[in-house]
Amino acid sequence: MTVRLSDIVMQYPGTRALDHVDVDFLFSEVHGLIGENGAGKTTLVSILGGSKQPTSGTIAIAGVETALASAGDALAKGIAHVSQEGSLVPGLTAAQNILLGDEPRLGLGIIDTRALKRRATELLARWFPQVSIDLDAAVATLPVADQKVIEIVRALRGEIRLLILDEPTATLPAREKENLWRIIRSLPPRGVGVVLVSHFLSEVKALSDRITVLRDGRHVTTLPADEVSEAQLVDFMLQRAGKPTTAIAEDAESARATGETVMDIADWHVGGVRVERFAIRAGEIVGLIGLTGAGHFGFARSLYTGEGFLSGRTVFAGQPLARPDARGMKARGVAFIPDHRMENSLIGEWSVRENLAMVHPQAGARAGVLSMGLEEKAARTAMALFNVKAHSPEQRIQDLSGGNKQKVSIGKWLYGAPERYRLMIFVEPTEGVDIGAKREIHRHIRRLAAEGAAIIVASSDLMEVADIADRVVPFVQGQAAPALSRAEFSESRFIAAMAGDPQ
Amino acid sequence: MTAQARPLVEAQEASSRKSRDQWLLKYSTLLALFLLFAGFALTVDRFLTASNLLNIVQQISMLTIVGAGLTFGFAAREMDLSVGYTVGLSGILVPLMLISGVPLPLALLGAVAAGFAVGAINSMLVTLVGIPSLIATLATGSILYGINFMSTGGRAIYGGLPDSFLFLGQGQILGIPVLAYAMLLFVLVAWFLMERTIFGRYIYAVGGNLKAAELSGVNGRFYRSAALVVCSLFAAMAGALLAARLGSGQPNAGERYLLDGLATVFIGMTMIRPGTATVTGTFFGALFIGVINNGLNLVGMDTYVQSIVKGLIILVAVAIVSRTTKLKLL
Repeated sequence: MTVRLSDIVMQYPGTRALDHVDVDFLFSEVHGLIGENGAGKTTLVSILGGSKQPTSGTIAIAGVETALASAGDALAKGIAHVSQEGSLVPGLTAAQNILLGDEPRLGLGIIDTRALKRRATELLARWFPQVSIDLDAAVATLPVADQKVIEIVRALRGEIRLLILDEPTATLPAREKENLWRIIRSLPPRGVGVVLVSHFLSEVKALSDRITVLRDGRHVTTLPADEVSEAQLVDFMLQRAGKPTTAIAEDAESARATGETVMDIADWHVGGVRVERFAIRAGEIVGLIGLTGAGHFGFARSLYTGEGFLSGRTVFAGQPLARPDARGMKARGVAFIPDHRMENSLIGEWSVRENLAMVHPQAGARAGVLSMGLEEKAARTAMALFNVKAHSPEQRIQDLSGGNKQKVSIGKWLYGAPERYRLMIFVEPTEGVDIGAKREIHRHIRRLAAEGAAIIVASSDLMEVADIADRVVPFVQGQAAPALSRAEFSESRFIAAMAGDPQ
Repeated sequence: MTAQARPLVEAQEASSRKSRDQWLLKYSTLLALFLLFAGFALTVDRFLTASNLLNIVQQISMLTIVGAGLTFGFAAREMDLSVGYTVGLSGILVPLMLISGVPLPLALLGAVAAGFAVGAINSMLVTLVGIPSLIATLATGSILYGINFMSTGGRAIYGGLPDSFLFLGQGQILGIPVLAYAMLLFVLVAWFLMERTIFGRYIYAVGGNLKAAELSGVNGRFYRSAALVVCSLFAAMAGALLAARLGSGQPNAGERYLLDGLATVFIGMTMIRPGTATVTGTFFGALFIGVINNGLNLVGMDTYVQSIVKGLIILVAVAIVSRTTKLKLL
């Protein structure tokens, strides 16, 4: 018995989230679904869970073609979706949450509290007899793992044949994970298939019978979990169609003249990330690479903002520093170009000109008074430098394409007087950007390094760091691994480092 | 049409529909104001006279000043619900100081200090303690209300106010009320700050996307605080002028400036840059409210009806803005 998705296409304006994907999910297996951010996992499980409808393609349950018009419709057809964020009402008890929306009633809309408790207890005992949870406790007071169990029991209260679990262990401590793993493994023998979406490869590998890999909205492969290594999975997730990394490494780029050390940190503990030693010199491009959740993005960001900083020693341009903060680092000559540009960098309702002027508005002002003429001139210069395609500097930023938005997000640091930065930190500089814009952005990064800036590029795009970095630091589960120098670049080395294999 | 092309065409149609809506929005409020004005002019004989028009200007001057201050708050996405009582506070403070012999310039400086103090307290509650401005200023407003009544025993303060002070609220220069000049001054200052200085640009930035502004090196806490301080400062100045116009300090005189002030900003948000509070928009919003109040007064409609009409207008304005733009109030 299966749910089969055939030839699924999901088209959004400007992007195709799923491109002719075929997968089938058995009611007797745990089916791992992996891929990097943007690979299409979320879209695929949303279609499977009924909350999104594909642009084209067919869905068949047990061989019968059907449509999943809504989450409720999917539920009625035996497919339940437990999302990552959690959907419990924190102030209600576990029992109330399990039967939320389906409470036994005495009539006149009055809830039969005794029957409710009894049914919740029965449900929990039926599915997970080995688990003991205080069903009268408010959900907010329960351990996170128990909350996940409550969510799963609630999902299973109907006639469910397929359960979608979206990052179920993302927020759990290691010991509690194993309990949840046992619970997940116990479902297929009882006729409930599991679709497991997770960033933790070891978890997917350990739990799944089969694993499907998505990349850039395409189905890469589906294969039995015991026939594949974690390194091979990383390979499937990251490889870009037929471009050997080694060829790029020979790309006549000679080792850049490297200058003084710009930033030198030791024993950093920031958020969930520990970095023993990290130093970067002027003129150098250092890539930080890792799978999603490895901690390299947070680390890069904390170098500028100090967010999550717990302890560590920092020396910037020869001066010791207690803890970085955005304004202080900007004043020291650090630029930070974050990921998720619409959230972290741009103001959607503002024009291109206003967005460009955000970092150094003084450049468009005379004696503290903003001059529209000066601003427009400076904006046009920055737009020309970065080849930003817009009708005029007055066009609203939210109406531009991803690549042009990203160019503005970078260009705003170079608007006005072309300031020399000591350090520029990029996070996912080519996220959601077309190939042409990507090349241009890489060219600018190289130029800025050649002009003497130290550059950090944190990316989940293997090709990107291989393309531009002189040195790459792989991150694995919150730890920085030893750096690979340009001469050592090879796809297998990268893959091994990112999967955490000591090689 | 292929499956790929359809969403794109739809997106284009949607965006052209959106820009047409935006165009309509920008000018429909002005059109409504014009129709309202023309309607009153044609149907009410005493409406279109020089003295009544000057009267309108005089009536809206304090409101415009309060609204201009609130515009800073809205731009930074901070709401100040204490402005009405701040108007009351300085409306009492200034006459009290004048009667006890303080010279006028010093008394006005006292109003500035009071406004600054209220704004500083509000902004500390919001940016340091972390209370949402809507709630913090609701509470400080309540406290100010109590202070206003306690300090006056609920009675008006009058008698012995110097002519120089009364001149501010009742006098004319070249046939035009002094209040009109004051209003113009505050509107110009507010417009200049918001549209032509880095200060104003950053107030809009923290309201537009606080995270993006802070990652660009903007001091978010400072600009959010500054916006709240400007709200209180402008309200305090309006309070001083109000006392001069009334010729007395009245503890409850400022109350209606909260709702009317918010209304001017909401109406203003339907024009110029729809969804964004602008000083120019607020000015037209105040004119709108002024024309309605005045016209309905002349027709002989009582104040309760006016209140209903204003409530409806606020609803319409906010409905227009929130349905056509991504309105972000809080």
